[in-house]
Amino acid sequence: MNAAIVLGAVLGALCVVLVALPFLREPDPVSDEIEKMTPERQRRLALAEERDRALAALKELEADHRNGRVNDEDYRASIGPLRREAAGALRALDGEVGQA
Amino acid sequence: MAELGRAALLVTLGLCLYACVVGSVAALTRRRRLALSARNALIAAFASTAVAAGVLAAGFLRSDFSFVYVAEHSSRSLAGLYKLSAVWGGQEGSLLLWLLILTGYAALAVWVNRNRTRDLVVWVTPVLGGIAVGFSFLLVVVATPFATQVAPADGSGLNPSLQNPYMTAHPPFLYLGYVGLAVPFAFAMGALLSGRTDERWIVATRRWTLIAWTALGIGQLLGSHWAYVEVGWGGFYAWDPVENAALMPFLAATAFLHSVMIQEKRGMLKVWNVVLVSLAFCLSIFGTFLTRSGVVNSIHSFAQSDIGAWFLAFIVIAVVFSTVMIIWRLPLLRTTTRLESLVSREAVFLYNNLLLVALCLTILWGVAWPILSEAVRGDSVVVGRPYFDFFLRIFGLPLLLLMGVGPLIAWRRASLRGLGRTFFWPAAVAVVTGVVLLLLGAGSSVPGLIAYTFSAFVLAAIGLEFVRGTRARRALSHESWPVALGSLVGRNRRRYGGYTVHVAIVLFAIGVAGASAYDSVVEGRLTKGEALTVSGYTVRYQGLTETQTDHATEVRALLRVSRNGKDLGGLEAGKNAYRIAGPDPQVSSEVGIRTNYLTGEDLFVIPGTVYEDGSVYFRIFVKPLVNLLWLAGIVFLFGSIIALWPDAREQRRLAVRYDEAGSPVRGR
Amino acid sequence: MIALSIAAVLAVFLLYTSIAGGGTPSVKPSELAGHQGNVSLVGQVIGRPVGDANEEGLRFRLRDVKGAARTAVPVVYRGSVPDLFAPGRDLVVEGELRNGVFVATPGTMVTKCPSKYTAIKPSAP
Repeated sequence: MNAAIVLGAVLGALCVVLVALPFLREPDPVSDEIEKMTPERQRRLALAEERDRALAALKELEADHRNGRVNDEDYRASIGPLRREAAGALRALDGEVGQA
Repeated sequence: MAELGRAALLVTLGLCLYACVVGSVAALTRRRRLALSARNALIAAFASTAVAAGVLAAGFLRSDFSFVYVAEHSSRSLAGLYKLSAVWGGQEGSLLLWLLILTGYAALAVWVNRNRTRDLVVWVTPVLGGIAVGFSFLLVVVATPFATQVAPADGSGLNPSLQNPYMTAHPPFLYLGYVGLAVPFAFAMGALLSGRTDERWIVATRRWTLIAWTALGIGQLLGSHWAYVEVGWGGFYAWDPVENAALMPFLAATAFLHSVMIQEKRGMLKVWNVVLVSLAFCLSIFGTFLTRSGVVNSIHSFAQSDIGAWFLAFIVIAVVFSTVMIIWRLPLLRTTTRLESLVSREAVFLYNNLLLVALCLTILWGVAWPILSEAVRGDSVVVGRPYFDFFLRIFGLPLLLLMGVGPLIAWRRASLRGLGRTFFWPAAVAVVTGVVLLLLGAGSSVPGLIAYTFSAFVLAAIGLEFVRGTRARRALSHESWPVALGSLVGRNRRRYGGYTVHVAIVLFAIGVAGASAYDSVVEGRLTKGEALTVSGYTVRYQGLTETQTDHATEVRALLRVSRNGKDLGGLEAGKNAYRIAGPDPQVSSEVGIRTNYLTGEDLFVIPGTVYEDGSVYFRIFVKPLVNLLWLAGIVFLFGSIIALWPDAREQRRLAVRYDEAGSPVRGR
Repeated sequence: MIALSIAAVLAVFLLYTSIAGGGTPSVKPSELAGHQGNVSLVGQVIGRPVGDANEEGLRFRLRDVKGAARTAVPVVYRGSVPDLFAPGRDLVVEGELRNGVFVATPGTMVTKCPSKYTAIKPSAP
């Protein structure tokens, strides 16, 4: 009974220490703010996602064409728009990074 | 030691409240140390829940019947392993296991992501904390497993049908699945709360969803196997509400795993993905509610159960919260990309999603209908097996076909002429299989024949996929066939892991069709020396034996099996009468199963009544291909592990992308 | 989006036709008297069952699981009997009332285990 209460108290104290740890370890931090996702970064990230998607799609189309899932006709019809899309995303991303 | 258990749960509740409230404040005011402190609270909550669970487990292992819960679910004579599984044999223990797994997942999820996308993870902490508050509150206030009493001499024992290895493994697996769905849900909500609606939350949770989904699948299959070998009615799935409760989140999570790929590849379906992950989570809570509240039996029993109302409140909060969040962030979830063609890989994914969700919702409707009709009309109407079987065929067979169509179609668009060529071989295989089966007499069941034809198509399509990929790889690298196959799978783990899982689903479908559409049955009362004949098997009854063990009286009918005149050896089937507290012993049927490992066929003998004169009423099934179900489980696990295996290249690619977007800006 | 809505409409339609054709009312023994046709009867077994379910039929009586009603309906059942069948147990059985006796459809008996909320199905359909 008593042992149980003591153990419970020890458990509680340990938990409090763990929760307070960030403040104990850094009593006087340089910065206490969480990094922020600025709108520019968010936009850049979206463009990077778009570019990666377009490049991955290009790669996959090449592979599909090579192993016969996509015939020549479909390949020719798809490759143009995909390349344009990838180039567009790359350009937009370059523009953004240039500005920054 | 019950006080320690109670104290630990109280500490857990406090920590979860802290993680939820302080975590929200920290995320709102962007205070870093406070957010870390909230995260630590989640980790501490896991530790203190583990202490509580340890106390309960120790109570069981030491047979400490001063714990009311232990006395109700265990006894001195219970074997060691079952003493441990008795921990989750009742309501309070199940909830504790739920909380233990939830806090475990939560601690691991926030720890693994500690250095990534902090602005998203700060919001994950309070969401996970909030979910944990719900369960720890139940355990502290409503259903404590640590109630004590003056210890009785012995406990009342564990339900004999739960004294089975399957019942030891089945609930933890199921809970790993149910609870695991909380992690993707928390990340989705975190993404909405923080406005980080890019791909990050999906990348962070894909693997978690896959783990939860795999556990849910394996858990259900274990449950089915238990029903098959132990419950002894000759089937493995009865569309019972409790079984459906696990199937629904599984279907929703399956849809999510597929639609996620469209967001990754095409940037589409952002709203749909958040909706699916919320649906899967809410269904997992609903599943727990169904099994724990007794609402299944009747709305009246629900009113009498003390825990049902809490769960209902929990579900309502989860549904309302996620709906509000999604509507609030709708502008951020808009996508510019559109579906280019209705004949493309992404279109097939879309059809797959619609079918899965339709199947999920019709099952939900079937489960909820008795409750709804009773509430609305005062007259409960139950829908039975025909309803569920009907929808399984209507939605399930097209789903099966789509598994074969998907791999054959390219992303974006495919011309019909190109399709004709890629479809030729799989379609030819399917047609030949169908015709051969028809000649062999499989036309006795039309859905069965369709299922087998579709299965052949899917297997051929997937086989073709592996062959083509390996050939293309060999052409590039000049490796030997096995090496090329290995590196093909290694470089595209998710794709080929996925195909392996598809093979498992096909095996499963073949097993289900074999066992339910092509089985045969015979029954009758046999006296010693008499025999029954079914599908070429002759089962001769040779006599009864009776043995006394520590817990039960075991009666066995000895049978001799032969097939087409060839002796196949003996088989036993009988009944165990367990001596438990109460006037009547608890009887459980022990079915006799003879498996043909070559053909996957089972001879399944159910002992009915054992008469005074020594004659026995037998019911004998022959179930072709039923063992493919269990084989499917192994293939499923194998495929999931391939897909789950960490891919360092992908991690690098993502890291590069986030670096480009600008290194983390420490605000000033 | 168009495909989505079509599918939704289709699903609801199928649902409707199926429910209208496939649902069985679930009733308590005290309410049985007014019901025609096939119903699913939920009740508690009282007294010692007699007869053989494999031959002329197992005979027992069912009354409301909860509540004050004392009405007990005689039931005759053929087919496989679940392991958990015993006096005092709750069960569900399908069938219809004929001349004051509830004649159960063979093989439809399902026992409910109240503490676990699991139904254990006795036989394949």
